[in-house]
Amino acid sequence: MTFGSVDRRRFIGTSALAGAAAATTVHPGRLRAEETVRIGFLAPLTGGVAAWGLPGLYGCEIWAEQKNAAGGVEIGGTSYNVEIVSYDNEYLPDKARTGAQKLISEDGVSFIEMLGGDTMPAVTPIANRAEMLVSTLLPSDLSPDTPFLVAPAEVHPIYNLTGVWWMAENMPEAKTAVICAQDDALGRPSVATYLAAFEAHGIEVKDTIFFDISTTDFAPVMTAMLAHKPDILCLDTAYAEFVNELCKQAFVQNYGGQIISCTADFYADIIANTSEEFMEGVIFQFPDFDDPALNSEDINFNDPNGFFEVYNERHPGQWGAVSWEYASILDLWLDGAQKAGSIEPAAVLGGMKQGGKGAHAFGEANWWGEELFGIDNALVGNWPVVQIQNGKAVIVEFKSIPEWWGEHSATMIKHFEAMGEMWYQRA
Amino acid sequence: MDIAVFLQTCLNATYASSYLALVAVGLVLIFGVMRVVNFAHGELYMAGAYCLFWVFYQNELPFFAGVAVAVLVVAAVGLFLERTMFRPMKDNPLGGLICSIGALLVLQAGAVSLFGVRKKSFAGPYNEAVTLFGVDALTISGQRLVVIAFAVILLGALWAFLRKSRFGWALRAVAQDPEAAALQGISISRISMLAMVLGAALAGAAGALTATIVPTGPYMGHPVIIGAFIVIIVGGLGSLEGAIIASVLYAFTHTFVTTLFDGTIADITGLVLMLIVLVVRPHGLLGKPERA
Repeated sequence: MTFGSVDRRRFIGTSALAGAAAATTVHPGRLRAEETVRIGFLAPLTGGVAAWGLPGLYGCEIWAEQKNAAGGVEIGGTSYNVEIVSYDNEYLPDKARTGAQKLISEDGVSFIEMLGGDTMPAVTPIANRAEMLVSTLLPSDLSPDTPFLVAPAEVHPIYNLTGVWWMAENMPEAKTAVICAQDDALGRPSVATYLAAFEAHGIEVKDTIFFDISTTDFAPVMTAMLAHKPDILCLDTAYAEFVNELCKQAFVQNYGGQIISCTADFYADIIANTSEEFMEGVIFQFPDFDDPALNSEDINFNDPNGFFEVYNERHPGQWGAVSWEYASILDLWLDGAQKAGSIEPAAVLGGMKQGGKGAHAFGEANWWGEELFGIDNALVGNWPVVQIQNGKAVIVEFKSIPEWWGEHSATMIKHFEAMGEMWYQRA
Repeated sequence: MDIAVFLQTCLNATYASSYLALVAVGLVLIFGVMRVVNFAHGELYMAGAYCLFWVFYQNELPFFAGVAVAVLVVAAVGLFLERTMFRPMKDNPLGGLICSIGALLVLQAGAVSLFGVRKKSFAGPYNEAVTLFGVDALTISGQRLVVIAFAVILLGALWAFLRKSRFGWALRAVAQDPEAAALQGISISRISMLAMVLGAALAGAAGALTATIVPTGPYMGHPVIIGAFIVIIVGGLGSLEGAIIASVLYAFTHTFVTTLFDGTIADITGLVLMLIVLVVRPHGLLGKPERA
């Protein structure tokens, strides 16, 4: 029987060969890797805090795809494909607990990445029991009770001090500030950090205004801030849409001073809602990864410009503070696993912390945190200060957090204690 | 508080009163006629905001076309809810409430699937700051002035409709005594439908008008509905005038406390205000005591 003018046997044979060739071409890694290592991603993918979860998952997927395309990752003589298993915790503790259970006992993950914050206390007992290595973006989750929890990407909110430090050096005329913050696990330690940094650099804080996380109208908050006629408006670690709304209100209420914020995610939208002139000079802490300063030899993140390009092709307009962070944690996890020669969580933790140093995205860094968090599980080194210039985020300088800590640690601890945010004060 | 901050705070509070009154009056209309506590009312507000986002921002059509589409679409959603949920459940005291919670979840999920989880923050066409009466302290965005103006126009039109038209009379009659209204030949079903459409349309208008001022997201209805519930309890369940007065009272209290102290204390103060009214005047400022 013929298939048109083509013999059926020849057609099937040719198709099989073509299929095998296509598989070899498209997925070389899948053919070469011997096993699969699963990484859990347990963060808010929906809800109000999704902007600090979902863009990070996109980054991890790109990371895994690139590793798998290159033949997987080599750990202890075995080649592994990396599979990211995500679970949306909606930033709700109950969902986070369920997600952790599922990832550990059903999906068999070797490592879990989390945003942390309000969801971490629900996960900690499960992680401790299973001796599961977990990462957080928020070192304020760390305590001696969290031996398997690491904060290897960012030392939120400690790095916020670098922005204040740079501002004090470069804008000495700015002498007074007002801080506003949402009243939650992200906002409060960040306020303590900003208070310490402002005090250390001789800037008077006129007021600190907390607002509820359900706030939608920021006009009264901004009116209260501007009533003090500050030189600096500090937006603390406000959620992305809060920063946007606060800037809109500052613009409408004719504010003309300096703005500093932990993040300015989707800052193009903020400029569209205000003006390029208004946003000129705003200081924050998270660079775009097409920044030429990231091509320096000290930077450990692999091909930041290329990553940024792929990310924006796949997810236009979604680049934010966390887009690269979860992916950079995977780099550190991989480094730890390769040093340990194993994917076992406890061994990887040992590998990660070997020699007390780690290859942080922004350069060599130290495992630190005993004084502030009761455990040296935060990786701390240099952090960039970013400024909006002509409508674009630009790294103006990298500042050393350990250097600042060496001079002003007592001030920071004082404000953390006053805010009830030291590890021994938290429930 | 100096005079400049005081004036600015008054402006902020006037804006907050305006959109809150639009939402609360719609809620009162629905409750007054149908005796349904519509928990999905905040999501009708959210639906109005997304309609504006789709028409004005995504399709670049005129802002007021977006507001008109929002009013029509959300009124249609209200009609759908009334016909498919509230009417079949009219004899079940808890049925309508439970259905409204279901509708709330469905509308939120619908918004997530259609527009994603990230909140939309986009500028309206009248975003420029406007200084009133040449006083610098009285500075407000044009967009907020539009909300205030529309709230006055829409609530005025509603008042005229309720007082001057036959449908308005019928609606008030059903709200006062459904059985007596039915004996007079008024169709309860048609009036319920009218109340739901009007209430939903007002929520849709509020959502659309404020969409460029607050972040538009799937869960934006939550804080609004909490404020609206406080307002209708303080104003008196079923009282439209009470809802408007309570909106002003609540918004001014909340805004001034936020400015003087902080937002968390303001939320607590709002609830304390409601508790005081419930203790001193359980039927609200302008509500009438339930007949035995």
